[in-house]
Amino acid sequence: MELFIEQLINGVALGSLYALFGLGFGIVFSTLGILNAAQGTYASWGAIVALNAADQWKLPFAASLLTGVVAAGLIALIVDQVAFQPLRKRGTSMLGALITSIACWIILDSLAGTATGHNSLSFPRGTYPSTMFHLGTIPLPAMQLITIAALLVVTLGLQLLTRHSRLGSAMRAVGWDQTAASIGGVNPRYVVVITAFLAGATSGFAGVLGGITTQNVSFMLGEGLMLKGFAAVVVGGYDDVRGTALAGVALGVLEVLTSQYLSSGLRDGITYSLLLIFLLVRPRGLFGSLNFSRA
Amino acid sequence: MRFSLRLGSLVLSAVAFLGLQTSQAIAQGLATGEYKIGFITENTGPIAQAGQSFWAGAQLAAEEVKSTKYLGGSSILLEPKEAGSDAARSIQAMSQFIADRSIIATTCCILSPVAGALKPAVLSAKIPLVIYGATAAGLPELPWVYSVTILPGPKDTAAALKVSDALKPKSVVYILAADNDAFKGRMAATQKAMEAKGIATAGVVSVLTKDTDFTAAATQAMGLKPDMILVYTTQQAAAGSISALRDRGFTKTIVGNDVLSPDSIFKKMGPTVVGVPFPVSFSDTISDSPEAKAFVAAYQAKVHAAPDIYSAQGYQMVWLIAQGLKSITGTPTRETLGAALEKIEKFDHQVYGGEFMKEGQAQTTGTIVVNWTAEGKLVPWTPPK
Repeated sequence: MELFIEQLINGVALGSLYALFGLGFGIVFSTLGILNAAQGTYASWGAIVALNAADQWKLPFAASLLTGVVAAGLIALIVDQVAFQPLRKRGTSMLGALITSIACWIILDSLAGTATGHNSLSFPRGTYPSTMFHLGTIPLPAMQLITIAALLVVTLGLQLLTRHSRLGSAMRAVGWDQTAASIGGVNPRYVVVITAFLAGATSGFAGVLGGITTQNVSFMLGEGLMLKGFAAVVVGGYDDVRGTALAGVALGVLEVLTSQYLSSGLRDGITYSLLLIFLLVRPRGLFGSLNFSRA
Repeated sequence: MRFSLRLGSLVLSAVAFLGLQTSQAIAQGLATGEYKIGFITENTGPIAQAGQSFWAGAQLAAEEVKSTKYLGGSSILLEPKEAGSDAARSIQAMSQFIADRSIIATTCCILSPVAGALKPAVLSAKIPLVIYGATAAGLPELPWVYSVTILPGPKDTAAALKVSDALKPKSVVYILAADNDAFKGRMAATQKAMEAKGIATAGVVSVLTKDTDFTAAATQAMGLKPDMILVYTTQQAAAGSISALRDRGFTKTIVGNDVLSPDSIFKKMGPTVVGVPFPVSFSDTISDSPEAKAFVAAYQAKVHAAPDIYSAQGYQMVWLIAQGLKSITGTPTRETLGAALEKIEKFDHQVYGGEFMKEGQAQTTGTIVVNWTAEGKLVPWTPPK
């Protein structure tokens, strides 16, 4: 039982990373209509910048984390304005944006590889909280608690923003129809800029926390989060923050318990089978209202 | 007088002819030229850290072959094609090398599956391939495929037994890269030897080489309550598993493998890798043969970093091919080089000490079991007091 609870906590912490990343991915899809393949690189870059902030600039943990998050947001903003804005002006389809995002992914990935010397780096000990708490005999690492707390705070914040604020209404309006939103007095460009930054920053947040907890800061960091984050968004629903959060956590728990009680070889198979089932049976996810349009 | 002049001329001509023949016989050997080795590099991708070391070691050896005039006026040129440890890209690069007749030999592969995938193409095209990193047994196939990688399997078993003899564990857990056949074979051999000594297997925890989060695997391994944990995975998975075990409070002995030997691993893992015993066939601070010392000094001067096991293997690969070339008379071909490499039993130039070739596979005598100190030095492992 003790082992089960420990693995459950491990699963929730891992799933929180997937969910956090998925939230950024979902915002871009539901508001900007872009299935952004470059989203994973924002996580990698967030972690790389935060590592430099901690290791080279000797910033404390919170400041390093914030630096990484802001850097990822800015990169996402630049990519959006340089690569996606011209497509938006021409009214290009989702396929065009997807192809452009793949190009951005390859470029940012290569640059991240160069920045890390194609090595896997890690945050030096002492640059992040490493206290081990105990709940009875069950160990609770500080970083796992921080990751879970981060997901709760970001989910709540985004839920309030998208459902209970004027900006959130504007984001949903732009996601539905940019022209109609403009007629209604919304400045779509402003909404796009805010959304792109928020999405990048959220994914960057996942990247920094993931880089610390897995001791792996490399250009490949975002790739793992990308696939799992995408699965969380599909299962949870593209336009529902709560769904993505729940689905991400569920995926993490499923992965860990599969490894513990079945086989690590089946882990990814089960995750992607679930993704496939949702795409076929319920493409709008658990809570979402948006569907993929069929070609 | 006229007769004697004619006779003298004849004698002189005969002497000159004989002299010319003799000097030609002395000068016989490798035809002067620049011989190209097609090098499938892995300087990018998931194991670029090791790939860059192989490349740097090989470059140093090529420079030394030229500067020491080991091949007279000839030299070796490394022709790189990047594959990023990807099998499809490696096969594409090998096809290009095979088509380029100026390439006399090829070298590749850190990952055993990639080496295995290239083998059929190499055997069919009849071009020598020297493998520099892959650790699976049975890859060499004479006269075309050779390996300068010291097979780690026997060393893993020897290290595990040495540590077990000192610490007397009752049960152990193995953390295994379940998607890597080479590590599966290495673990199975050690497990058999350990069980023969009465050391029970509490469990085998499987991870995948591309995994990044090892918290669950560490929890699973610790849940089996072993006296010792042995890690049979690739570099990143080993670093991740050991860090996760230490972070979760596992204070008993963890036995690693040779992937923990590069400096970069100590820089990445820091205190979590200190005291973890693992076997090595080369260490810049422990290997003490004159060749090893010269290699370390030259490498540090060129790369401004300490050489690791991978750079030693890259270095050894070029010297092996150079030794094959040196034994050829005239202009070498892929066929004559293959035949020359097949005859090599002892290395002219080696850095491990006691290294020899057996059926195309490099081997050494002896095993060094080492561990990292808190100061970042490799020292011979001794049981904790």
